[in-house]
Amino acid sequence: MSMLRSSLALLAVSLAAGALQAQTDTSANEDYSMYDNLGFADSGAKRYCSPKIEGLSPAKLISLGYDVQGPYALAAGDLLASDGSTVLGQTAQVRATHGIRAAFNIPVVSKTHLVWQMGANYWASNYTYADEVNATSHPLHQSLSEHGLRTAGVSTTVFKPLDSKRFVLFQGSADLSGSYGIGLMPADYLKYSAALIYGKRPTEKKQWGVGVARTYRVGELNYIPVILYNSTDALNKWGAEVLFPARAHVRRTINPRNMLFAGYELEGQSFRLWQNPGSGFDLRKEDLEIRRGEARLRVVYECSLKDFIWLSVQAGYRVNARYDVDRLVGGREIYRAFGLLRDDAYAQVNGLGNPLYFNVSLNLVSP
Amino acid sequence: MFRKIALWTASALIAFTSLHFDLQEAPGDKLVGVWEPSNGRARVKIDRIGTKYYGRIVWLIEPNDPETGLPKTDKNNPDPALQKVPLKGYRMLKDFVYQPDGTWSEGTIYDPLNGSTYNCVIKMKDKNTLEIRGYIGVQALGRTDVWKRLAVQPSKK
Repeated sequence: MSMLRSSLALLAVSLAAGALQAQTDTSANEDYSMYDNLGFADSGAKRYCSPKIEGLSPAKLISLGYDVQGPYALAAGDLLASDGSTVLGQTAQVRATHGIRAAFNIPVVSKTHLVWQMGANYWASNYTYADEVNATSHPLHQSLSEHGLRTAGVSTTVFKPLDSKRFVLFQGSADLSGSYGIGLMPADYLKYSAALIYGKRPTEKKQWGVGVARTYRVGELNYIPVILYNSTDALNKWGAEVLFPARAHVRRTINPRNMLFAGYELEGQSFRLWQNPGSGFDLRKEDLEIRRGEARLRVVYECSLKDFIWLSVQAGYRVNARYDVDRLVGGREIYRAFGLLRDDAYAQVNGLGNPLYFNVSLNLVSP
Repeated sequence: MFRKIALWTASALIAFTSLHFDLQEAPGDKLVGVWEPSNGRARVKIDRIGTKYYGRIVWLIEPNDPETGLPKTDKNNPDPALQKVPLKGYRMLKDFVYQPDGTWSEGTIYDPLNGSTYNCVIKMKDKNTLEIRGYIGVQALGRTDVWKRLAVQPSKK
């Protein structure tokens, strides 16, 4: 009987052997030094640097958020019409500027020697006036009150490592911005932005680069130098995420799933003024664009809610840099080069108060 | 007596068969070996256990935690009970099954840098190159890393 029991026990152990092997790691006493002297089996293989550095905040694949600016005064200046007449300016109180912000950015090619991403974005800015009746007596306020401003665009990013330390980064986008409706998206008014950066990644925790950009971030078209700088300290507690002058943040990593940022971002675009309701001055007969540029001084908190779903909350101060209306000349925008090439007057010079703002978004972050 | 011998023989046969099944080379075993992710900061040894493939970290470019000076542990793991587990020896690839289309799938990859686990599929581009795609739900939402096979280097004289 005892022999039968021991035989059955041996049988059970045999059957269980495979399952146990799958669950346990038998390498506890392994001599890991045997893995020190290894090299590529393929002697021709090359190492390439990664687009990321250690400790960097996670890239957002899909983002859906809402942005709200608090009350401020919008002083619309005199508007010089194309027929030589003048529409007198008017100051109105904006109770809030708010709207959805959605974006996605999907890797198309993700190889060691090339990373290519495509994306799209949609931002809406709805203007809620404190006194809608009085505000709508001016064409700019009318248009903003009724239609707000929208930006829809596509973007692409290409990261090309040259070797284990050097890389080239290209970002390009085409945006259609203005007070258009869904069915009115004249491709003639697409705005193209691009940046080309040459950089180095000397360590796993630092990368930097220099380049040039064609940008509307300061409200109107400009060509400016850009500086990329990302770094993380040795203890993974502090870091910097900078693409100057577009944005710069100091990062405090509480842990890899909780991060705090302080810094600023420049936002801007040229918005086609196409629609305004009612009778009187008709914006559609003019060739006008708002050159909007603003700085957002802010604190941002980002955390993982569950696995790859991250919450981002930001609060700060929106500082207006420009909100002037420019007239196209022959259907083309005026390139002033900060006043060095041309110094044409704007069709309307506007002033905005600087409110507090708040932004919250849910994000699906990249592996 | 005959009954005892028969029982022992049967048991031994099953044990041997089980062991033999494990040792026998399978079509997916070309994955077995030591591999280096593109960042070059770790080396991962992939083995077959039963019918599945697992990869564990066997080398780190920076083996010690700069904060403590002690060997790195899985301190970013969201499960506090696992945060003291040493990274060296940690199974970061789990449960891969070789498929008829020549890929290894149904497995997961763990990123110790952020404590996240992703779905993962492995493709062998050539015998020394793997394309490891970690993704979230669908493969479009993911990132591919290229791993290179490592071999013992001949000692220089």
